[in-house]
Amino acid sequence: MKLDRLPIDVPKNDTRRDRVIGSVLAKVAAMQTAERADAVMAEPRSRARFAIALVAPLAVAAAVLVWVLARTPATPSAPPSAPSLVVTPIGGSSRFTVGDSMIEAGPDTSVEVLTAASGAVTLALARGSVECDVAPRAGRPPFRVVAGNVTVEVVGTRFTVARRPAVRVDVVRGKVKVVAPAGTVYVLPGESWPPVAPSAPVLPPPPLASIPTPPVVESPAPSQASPQAMFKDAQRLRRRDPAKSERLYRSLANHSDVWAALSLYDLAEMHGAAQTDRALRELDELARRFPRAANLEDAAWLRIEILRDASRTEDARRAAAAYLRRFPSGTYSDQAARVAAP
Amino acid sequence: MALSVVDRPEASSDAELVAACVAGDSAAQRRLCMREYDRVNAIIFRILGSTRDADDLVQETFIAMFRGLPKFRGESKLSTWIDKIAVRVVFAHIRARKAAPVSLDVIGDVDAGGGTVDARAHAREGLRRLYAALAELTLEHRIAFSLYSIDGRTIPEVAQLIGTSTVTAKLRIWRARRRLLAKIADDPILGEFVRDVEVSR
Repeated sequence: MKLDRLPIDVPKNDTRRDRVIGSVLAKVAAMQTAERADAVMAEPRSRARFAIALVAPLAVAAAVLVWVLARTPATPSAPPSAPSLVVTPIGGSSRFTVGDSMIEAGPDTSVEVLTAASGAVTLALARGSVECDVAPRAGRPPFRVVAGNVTVEVVGTRFTVARRPAVRVDVVRGKVKVVAPAGTVYVLPGESWPPVAPSAPVLPPPPLASIPTPPVVESPAPSQASPQAMFKDAQRLRRRDPAKSERLYRSLANHSDVWAALSLYDLAEMHGAAQTDRALRELDELARRFPRAANLEDAAWLRIEILRDASRTEDARRAAAAYLRRFPSGTYSDQAARVAAP
Repeated sequence: MALSVVDRPEASSDAELVAACVAGDSAAQRRLCMREYDRVNAIIFRILGSTRDADDLVQETFIAMFRGLPKFRGESKLSTWIDKIAVRVVFAHIRARKAAPVSLDVIGDVDAGGGTVDARAHAREGLRRLYAALAELTLEHRIAFSLYSIDGRTIPEVAQLIGTSTVTAKLRIWRARRRLLAKIADDPILGEFVRDVEVSR
């Protein structure tokens, strides 16, 4: 036995490959967006230096003064830190600081912290969510979160940016500027972006007879926790205590707010192909009760994944065709086209 | 159990692809990822075994690749340059995990060949024991041995990927092999698995 050659086969999994590559490309796009934003910020400073160079021959003393003033902001107050990547597991979270800002990366999150020489901080969110508590930025370098083609610029606030993969911003305190392809908006405390449709019709729950699975849901212990806190708890417990997590999600799903739509999605994801019918019912419920929810596209793709993983190829194909009709340029349109192909 | 063959990219297309990626062409970036994914995934899988961190490590490799592409001067083949990044990422991963207990669970998606359920379970257990034995080696020995014996690289290739001379690479492989043979002598299941999968070079 020489142990010269121990060839081990590597399992092939196209879904995993597509997910990994999709995530990489989203992150690279976020990095490029951040670099472009930095370049735009750097431009006025270059122009200022050029103007100073013109003024200098006219008045040496004034030029020296201007030079000193102009140079000061170009000198970083602290050395630029190396970019660092924070990746949290499903069910885990991580808290870290960037300067005097406190960041909490939620479960299943990948976020990169980029600090420019100017002191500008950019969080490039590839997936998951970050909750940021940022000191007011007046007169200080900007603090941004880039999630795909959406840039959230901080004015001084506490807010959450989630990317699953549709981007969502919730502001708790202060104000943030959201720059998206559709335009720029300011989001104020208690508001979300994209705005939750308040008029989304909430249909009455279906008759009990049509729900065969156990949905007699034990309400969690009476608590004063906000839906957001409950949702975070449910996410945190997904791996450690799935039964409790499911109860929390179910309890949230009985409401009619954004957390209900997110909970129904997470429930379907939890049940997955192992409990296909149940997961599909949850996705049906999400689509029926929240026809304008922000995560409908994710839900449509999740349906395809569940059907495919459950080897219901024809159903997956039909679901993929339906996805492409509804979201022809959607995040998952390439993958959906592959599933829909005969 | 046969080694899957991964196509090496055409050298002539590398420069154009790199230039397009650096210019921010997302189609080129996707093409490069698709082209390199199987090999990068294989390196990580064959060094670490089946691990839940594999996808994160592939991602980390690709992100580092895109960061470094503007500095890529074509002094080595693009594929070799990317493989070096993957090895560095795995190296850092194992080193970071040293303080924490390393999970040796094989997730269960390993194709342990055809045969009966028993044979597959046996092969899976053998594989688990192989990676448990590899985890006991020093980091340098483990990576050199995995690249050579499991990933099928030549000694000069291993030396290039780990950044040492061929003599050092050979020595690390030899020492790893000696430790593993001692382990196999005490573990009949591992011995049987290795005999089943071993082929001569």
